[in-house]
Amino acid sequence: MELVYFLIESIVKVVVVFGVLMGAVAYLTLAERKILGRIQVRYGPTRVGPFGLFQPIADGIKAFFKEDLVPAKAHKALFVAAPMISITAAISLFAVIPFGAVIEFFGRKISLVIADLDIGLLYVFAVASLGEYGVVLGGWSGYNKYGLMGALRAAAQMISYEIALALSVMGVLMISGTLNLVEIVQQQAGGHWNAFYHFQFFPFIFYLICALAEINRTPFDMPEAEAELACGFNIEYSSMKFALFFMAEYAHLIAVCAIATTLFLGGWDGPFHLPPTLSWIWFVAKTGVLVYVFIWQRGTFPRLRYDQIMRFGWKFLLPLTLANIFVTGLIMVVRGQ
Amino acid sequence: MQKDVALRKLQAEFPDAVLDTISFRGEETVVIKPEAILPVCRFLASDPALAFDFLTDICGVDYPPREKRFEVVYHLYSMKRNKRFRLKTAVAATEPIASVASVWKGAGWFEREVYDMFGLTFTGHNDLRRILTWDGYEGHPLRKDFPVRGADFDRYEVPAVPTDAYSQMPASLSDPVSEGGGAEREMTLNMGPQHPATHGVLRLVLKLDGEVIREAVPYLGHLHRGVEKLAEQLTYTQGITLTDRLDYTAGICNNLAYCLAVEKLMDIQVPKRAQYIRVMLAELQRIAAHLLWLGTHALDLGAMTVLFYCFREREEVLDILEQVTGARLTPSFLRIGGVAADLPEGIQARIAGFLDAFAGHLAEYETLLSKNIIWLKRTKDVGVITRKEAINWGLAGPVIRGSGIEWDIRKAFPYSSYDEFTFAIPTGEQGDVYDRYLVRLEEMRQSARIIRQAVRKLQKGEVRTRDPRVTPPTKQEAGTEIHALIRHFKHFAEGLTPPRGEVYSSVENPKGELGWYLVSDGTNRPYRYRIHTPSFVNAAALPSMIKGHLVADVVAVIGSIDIVLGEIDR
Repeated sequence: MELVYFLIESIVKVVVVFGVLMGAVAYLTLAERKILGRIQVRYGPTRVGPFGLFQPIADGIKAFFKEDLVPAKAHKALFVAAPMISITAAISLFAVIPFGAVIEFFGRKISLVIADLDIGLLYVFAVASLGEYGVVLGGWSGYNKYGLMGALRAAAQMISYEIALALSVMGVLMISGTLNLVEIVQQQAGGHWNAFYHFQFFPFIFYLICALAEINRTPFDMPEAEAELACGFNIEYSSMKFALFFMAEYAHLIAVCAIATTLFLGGWDGPFHLPPTLSWIWFVAKTGVLVYVFIWQRGTFPRLRYDQIMRFGWKFLLPLTLANIFVTGLIMVVRGQ
Repeated sequence: MQKDVALRKLQAEFPDAVLDTISFRGEETVVIKPEAILPVCRFLASDPALAFDFLTDICGVDYPPREKRFEVVYHLYSMKRNKRFRLKTAVAATEPIASVASVWKGAGWFEREVYDMFGLTFTGHNDLRRILTWDGYEGHPLRKDFPVRGADFDRYEVPAVPTDAYSQMPASLSDPVSEGGGAEREMTLNMGPQHPATHGVLRLVLKLDGEVIREAVPYLGHLHRGVEKLAEQLTYTQGITLTDRLDYTAGICNNLAYCLAVEKLMDIQVPKRAQYIRVMLAELQRIAAHLLWLGTHALDLGAMTVLFYCFREREEVLDILEQVTGARLTPSFLRIGGVAADLPEGIQARIAGFLDAFAGHLAEYETLLSKNIIWLKRTKDVGVITRKEAINWGLAGPVIRGSGIEWDIRKAFPYSSYDEFTFAIPTGEQGDVYDRYLVRLEEMRQSARIIRQAVRKLQKGEVRTRDPRVTPPTKQEAGTEIHALIRHFKHFAEGLTPPRGEVYSSVENPKGELGWYLVSDGTNRPYRYRIHTPSFVNAAALPSMIKGHLVADVVAVIGSIDIVLGEIDR
């Protein structure tokens, strides 16, 4: 009987998370266009529905009905598989992210996370880098030189920033002593956020920078770089395959913000206490702020050059994140933890 | 008139080579023997007292009845002495002529164009291919016997080109053996003509080692409309409309350049009010053109927001221009001898309002870009062209000023009363992308300054000369006097007829020196309508600027030289 309950509970959680996520991805495209519009003295979408609210639906329908082209010389299997890998990896990330406190439902304790894994953080890094395969393979399989260059850049960037990204959360790991994301959040309860209470503010910034590179957004959008590579890795994609890449990008964007919230900003913990059933509001709000920051900086910064990004990653971020491990250790010794 | 020192020295040095000297409208022309062209050019360029270090233009002219039917015309300029000089030589179709690309690098593309358009060959040229038409094109369009009507041609069949031809280097330049690592390390990338950052239909074939550019070859002509040939079939007044379509971001400036050339040819004085209106409109157009450059340049480097800011201001400039000229893109507002109409009422206040707001907006761009570390990283020490190189390439406008050369036609050869205005010529130091960016930003400020002065200086008066050779009689006159009516008919049926002669006249366009070399045979149509365009010379130096840089730098450099394919291809 317990197994049946567990299955029902899991399926309901998966359906809810997936539904909310897809809705968020769709409306994030609208939000990005609206916010960038405000920054850039223009309106953004206004035509479809009130305030352009149905624009994502119209976009979805359009993408769905576009002709789906596969280049004659493309590696067909990988070409089709690449966007799937991207989107699968991006969505799978949400399996371990806790988005609320434990709630009670007909006497049954339900934690607001799909899978309470002991190695949650490890899982996050493993799956997040899988997503990059979609970009690399997609760029390579399309038989296009721009795509190939985009793929190469993606591969190089992935290796460079993966390391710094993992190192930047090492301090949090040392403090919490666990890879379980739920536990990490619980330890931060009561305002003991890692970013501030445990002096992990700089690693938090490093994490955000690395995350930007990880999800290929300006100023690190090397694989795409529409100016020089004319869209890079997704140059040969059309229709729903193209849309899948886009959805993956936005899902990934939400994911990295959600992980930052979990690791550094105390997850569902907030300045004042909300009942467990509403604790997810804090989580969503904090993630939303981070997402906004990501969109905002896109409206501000030019794009870096490929070699400069590599140099920045290896010569600047890597030593600093390494130094942070040492500093965190010092803090822990001083505090006697 | 006193002979120029260059002429005297030339006659002393090469007594046999100089065949004839012509002086017309204050311009010196020397006809020399074709064999002597290389030593004469070398002498003119290297002699310290003459110092013709700058090659403005090379073009051909076709005179079919003559035995040596082609003339090759060299326009030289001395930076130091601020002097122009014209060399001419006559050759037959089969007679090869020595290339001067070893003296001035900029000559390379001009000679290719003469080869393409007239079929003359240059010995010692390392890359003599067609430039505006394609390999395999038949005929030479600017020869006078080239058919101009569709019915005169045979039916054109597209040749079967092998599919990979578009990704090959030209045979004369591909040299895989000499490269370190061999051909396996290299990839040939075809950038353009359809590419978001080549600013039109420029096609670059890049030979890459990883992302490093080993070799870059531009291909032109995707927008070639044969403007120079077309204009030979039109009257002088009709020729104005073609100018709008060269650098289509700066229609009025192009109008001005052409009108000044015809006015010089006919020796016409333009009323003061018209001159100030011309200056005002040209500077407004310069601001609009520079705003478009800034927006697209920033967009190429990923700073998307700047584009929209720039378009906000550009919109206002275009609205003002529309209110004055009736058009936003192709004004054709200037007339030979003045402007088409007086300013509409209240435009001065509108311009002043725009200028007041514009200063603040410029500061806004500066905060977004000038000190932005990413912007600095992308533009500093990229696409460097030194002072010496810049002169040797014969570069134009903000590009040559970015390399630290204070050279501006508005100061060097003031036209349209520019000598009555106070403005500065901004220059850079390094000659990199960032310097060119700063130069253009400052130019916008200086333009605003000039416009303010022009608005203040405007006085009541004629906006078009009363010279009967170029201006039709008023409606009142034509309706009451028979001689005026006849003149009216003649003006509109026949157009203007300048005297025989040839002039070169140039202006400082947003992109650089835009010049017209007009040859008149005394009829109502130009015999030769040669356009010297700044983008053409700047694009010629592009490969040398991007060699050794990364792919991402290509878009930065292209943006910084601000090319418009409409005037490169013509």
